[in-house]
Amino acid sequence: MTPSYRIGIDVGGTFTDIVAIDGEGAMTFLKTPTTPENQAVGVVDGIAKLAKTLRLPQSELLRQTTRIVHGTTVATNALLERKGARVALLTTAGHRDVLEMREGLKLDRYDLRTPPPEPLVPREKRFSVIERLRADGSVATPLDKASLVEATRKLKEEAIEAIAVCYLHSYRNSRHEKETFAYLRQEMPEAYISLSSEVLAQIKEYERVSTTVVNAYVGPGVRAYFAALEHKLAEAGYTGTLYIILSHGGVAPIEEASRLAAATVLSGPAGGVAGCRHAAHITGDLNLIPFDMGGTSTDISLIVGGEAALSSNRGLAGQRIALRSLDIISIGAGGGSIARAEGGALDVGPQSAGAFPGPVCYGTNGTEPTVTDANVVLGTLSTDRALPGREPLDKAAADRALDQLAKTLGLTRERTAEGIVEVINVKMADGIRLATVSRGVDPRDYALFSFGGAAGLHACDVARGLDISRIIVPNFASVLSAWGMLSTPLRYEVSRTHIGDTRGLDAKNLRALYDDLAHAATLKIAGKTPGEIRIQRSAEMRYGEQIYEIDVPLDDLDWESPNLMDEVTEAFRRRHEALFTYSLPDQDIVLVNARVAATSATDALPELPVSAAKGSDAAPHQRRIYLGHWREVPVYPLDALVPRQKIAGPALIEAETTTVLLKEGDHALVNRWGWLDIAVAAR
Amino acid sequence: MGAHEKKIAASARRKRKLDPITQTVIRHRLTSISAEMGEAMLRTSYSQILNSSRDFSVAICDDQCRLIAQADHIPVHVGALPWALKSAKEAFPDAQKGDVVLLNDPYYGGSHLPDITALIPVFHSGRRLLWTIVRAHQSDIGGATHGAYNPDATEIWQEGLRIPPILLYEQGRLRADILEMLAINVRHARDFRGDLAAMVGAAHLGERGLERLCDEFGASLVEEAIEAVLDASEERAREILESWTDGVYTGEAVLDDDGRGREDIRIRAKVTKRGRDIEVDLSASDPQTTSFVNSSHANMQSAVAMAFAFLLDPDIPKNAGTFRPLSVVAKPGTLVWATDNAPVTLCTSHPSNEIIEAIVKAMQPACPERVMGGWGRRFRLAIKGHDARRNRSFIWHMFHARPGGGASANGAGWSSIGEWHSAGGIKFGSIEVDEARFPLLFRKHEFRLGSGGDGRFRGGMGVELELEVEAQGLINTAGDGARHGAAGMLGGGDGLPHSYRILRADGSSRVLKTKEVGIAIGPGDLIDVRSGGGGGWGKPAASESQLAPRGVR
Repeated sequence: MTPSYRIGIDVGGTFTDIVAIDGEGAMTFLKTPTTPENQAVGVVDGIAKLAKTLRLPQSELLRQTTRIVHGTTVATNALLERKGARVALLTTAGHRDVLEMREGLKLDRYDLRTPPPEPLVPREKRFSVIERLRADGSVATPLDKASLVEATRKLKEEAIEAIAVCYLHSYRNSRHEKETFAYLRQEMPEAYISLSSEVLAQIKEYERVSTTVVNAYVGPGVRAYFAALEHKLAEAGYTGTLYIILSHGGVAPIEEASRLAAATVLSGPAGGVAGCRHAAHITGDLNLIPFDMGGTSTDISLIVGGEAALSSNRGLAGQRIALRSLDIISIGAGGGSIARAEGGALDVGPQSAGAFPGPVCYGTNGTEPTVTDANVVLGTLSTDRALPGREPLDKAAADRALDQLAKTLGLTRERTAEGIVEVINVKMADGIRLATVSRGVDPRDYALFSFGGAAGLHACDVARGLDISRIIVPNFASVLSAWGMLSTPLRYEVSRTHIGDTRGLDAKNLRALYDDLAHAATLKIAGKTPGEIRIQRSAEMRYGEQIYEIDVPLDDLDWESPNLMDEVTEAFRRRHEALFTYSLPDQDIVLVNARVAATSATDALPELPVSAAKGSDAAPHQRRIYLGHWREVPVYPLDALVPRQKIAGPALIEAETTTVLLKEGDHALVNRWGWLDIAVAAR
Repeated sequence: MGAHEKKIAASARRKRKLDPITQTVIRHRLTSISAEMGEAMLRTSYSQILNSSRDFSVAICDDQCRLIAQADHIPVHVGALPWALKSAKEAFPDAQKGDVVLLNDPYYGGSHLPDITALIPVFHSGRRLLWTIVRAHQSDIGGATHGAYNPDATEIWQEGLRIPPILLYEQGRLRADILEMLAINVRHARDFRGDLAAMVGAAHLGERGLERLCDEFGASLVEEAIEAVLDASEERAREILESWTDGVYTGEAVLDDDGRGREDIRIRAKVTKRGRDIEVDLSASDPQTTSFVNSSHANMQSAVAMAFAFLLDPDIPKNAGTFRPLSVVAKPGTLVWATDNAPVTLCTSHPSNEIIEAIVKAMQPACPERVMGGWGRRFRLAIKGHDARRNRSFIWHMFHARPGGGASANGAGWSSIGEWHSAGGIKFGSIEVDEARFPLLFRKHEFRLGSGGDGRFRGGMGVELELEVEAQGLINTAGDGARHGAAGMLGGGDGLPHSYRILRADGSSRVLKTKEVGIAIGPGDLIDVRSGGGGGWGKPAASESQLAPRGVR
């Protein structure tokens, strides 16, 4: 039988991770350096390496591949580094500055000396078009062709590559935006054009214009990258569809991701959350906190009842992106976070040595001590081995850097190193609190799902600080994101604003509204998948005088019932009470956005094979590490652990790209797949 | 681990000495406890002024009324809360566990009547160690006009319900009759009860967090850490102060009027900076007025602390240590410290803005790289009327057309960002949502070009708003800054002042003054708002074109 492969590719800042799963469920994974100037080069290199590992010619491997899913940081980097397209914006006359006004908000209220950020589209590239709609969608002022012609002339003059179009109330009536599109398409056939009514047909002009502008800004780069990648893969012999994982954790075919490029800004971390969600289903532990600690940042999110938490309240690099995305909290704390003395006290981060110059022990010109250096000093991070494409870590350099800081603080080298780890752990615990407690979730009811290169050394202490008693570490923790992409269903979401009192809506209209949306969503994925298509309905609702909508799932209602509207309002009340502990029976309820998601339960992944590790009779190798004092602890290779094996802390468990530290009282149990299930000692 | 082992582990921690790491850990925990209190307020409060405009603040103080930690919400509350605690402690020196003290009176440590403060004592090891405090601006507090801003008030009783320090809960028991008495005196009793419950809830959440912190580290180690945190903040503030040039400096800022014909009311600051200490003396400010532009004592203290915080580094902790180098001198009976039950409701915006500006102005020669051009003034506008299309009455508060912020040594000011006292903390919300909810049509809402003060770096721009009200209604105003714009610094120009008008359907027009009630508006009329710009920074360069703010051509 021909094995049919699925390949997941996660391009990170430093490494490109590749995971392949064959028809039997056997998994192969590897890491290869990322090629930042053109990520496609690294991707194709990785596939060549994979073919070698599987002892197949590359063309044969790709011929046998049924699906490639890809997570990319092209859009993310374009935004972070401000390297997007030359973009312009067409707005309703009289409302040219919505983008730059940012609703009057500024993040740090005590900072009166930092000038405002440069908007993605400066004022001279924002052009007014005479037209106006009212809130009910009726036309107050028809689209004035002459003003559109004049704006287009300027667009050409400025050699604009991408155009965002956002008119007031276009979520209600897209006619003027569509007329604008038709004219622009004809005049500027090469330009990337984004209409706000297609990117995010939702009320609230700042969110809509900002999201549409981000889409136009990253769109051309994303489109070009996808085209190049598709071309390279086709050259190499791949004829299947290339799928992209989006910020909301679903995957979409490449042409859809090119159109809605703004939905790929969290494509990178989305794979990790998707992987955690899948892990929740196969382990049966439905409440997990994905904890992904990397070099510069730590990403934290939530899996509740087996589902990933979503939010429309996100942004990146100071840009508001109101598309639904995974609710990932990214905190500036990681292995590269820099430690320093401030007013006689120690503090760590948010400054990071990043990938370059990197921690001092990397020997790449870093001079300031980092968390990674502290771990090297404490002996928990091995200096014997090297990451792919890197030199082994330089312990002497880490010692010197720590000594300097220790002198300033009047502490020993070891106590300083221990302190750095302690402080960064408190910050990560704060991040987890933000992702849980501030959303009304008690972290003690959850298991920490630890992955990413740096998480294993910190997970036990971070969990302990929050009274979390359990940690799960998959044995492929360092490539979890790429694996996660393969477990993700096709998903397409559409929404429409229908702002109105629920009393003014009847069951018939509501059914028609949702049927329309379901039809539109289904069309987008029909034919892409052999599986059945599942429809999920929800609404964003609030009390009349409130300003924050809440998400109300509507799938469990009786959609044929004549009392459908009562059921909808009841569902809202129950949800409000669950979230905020109260409901207000006599207040008006407003339905703001109707949403439908179409999901294809693609052919599910084959089951993970049971670990075939044989274990070893030899006593584990010992290493001296500092845990309040220097002592010897056993070091176990992760790959050699046998199911049901028990390891008691203090101990280290090492794999090529990740290390797990157990302290006194922590116990790890190896599960049937070779993952670690850790019982954390109480503090 | 059983209960016994837990105890052993906890006592091991308690025996730990205070080292720089434990200090940092406890500092972060205190910050995250106050952040959690703030989050709870946002999530659970009823009124838009709280959950959208975030006009509330939370703090942790110790039993000596020193500010320990505070969550960043609206800057105008920084430094004001310890005064409320002083007053609460004077009234209830033996406050017990389970007590909840409430107050709003500006003559008892409050800022102005709409700001209600709830205070809860936190006990550990049998001692009263700390207090958690929540202050929130109520959407109504009774009195002669809706929403407390009453330009006609000549004494505080006309501004709303006065609450001296009272016990809302006594050792955990709600005094229902007191709550009833409060609720019956405000216009939206249900919202009031909801917001009050949210405040007390948030303060209790903080209490729980602090008790847990003390369980874990031991009360005395926590206290020791707090001392160390305050000392470290003080040291940081003094280090910054040391870099400023010594001297005695003066600065003056001017209010337009009191709404009753008295114009150009002056706030005068004399700032003496010597070594690592600084004194702000406001004694030479003009006498108090008969209208609501007076400041309460606590609000004046807060405005001075805010000015000082703005001149330090943005990330310096807002705690008592940071403010130790600062001493404040003022004279009762002046505009900044009103006495004899004078009205004060406007004070959190005016004269707060002018107090800050006078101090920053004074400091121009002392620390030119740190001073910033003046931020805009507040000119609020509320419309009430009947919406025939939806057949209901409405009240709409204008948060749009925010004024510009001041420029600084680092570059131009922010446009459409707000006043000194809110500094970008208030969101104006969506025009689309307002048009869907109210009989309004926003014809124009764009930057007011040229409104920012000239300078080496220009002040931020205000906004031009053309608003049609498609119903019969009445407008109330409250504010200042229609004659005096935000001050330029170090040779920079002032921002343009506000200019608000009504253009009538019949072709006539009238200027909207900053302190008026009951101006009729109807279909076909246009409200023409031009909000002020921020102050410029530094003398304009000879060739200034490349330094003009973006988009001004």
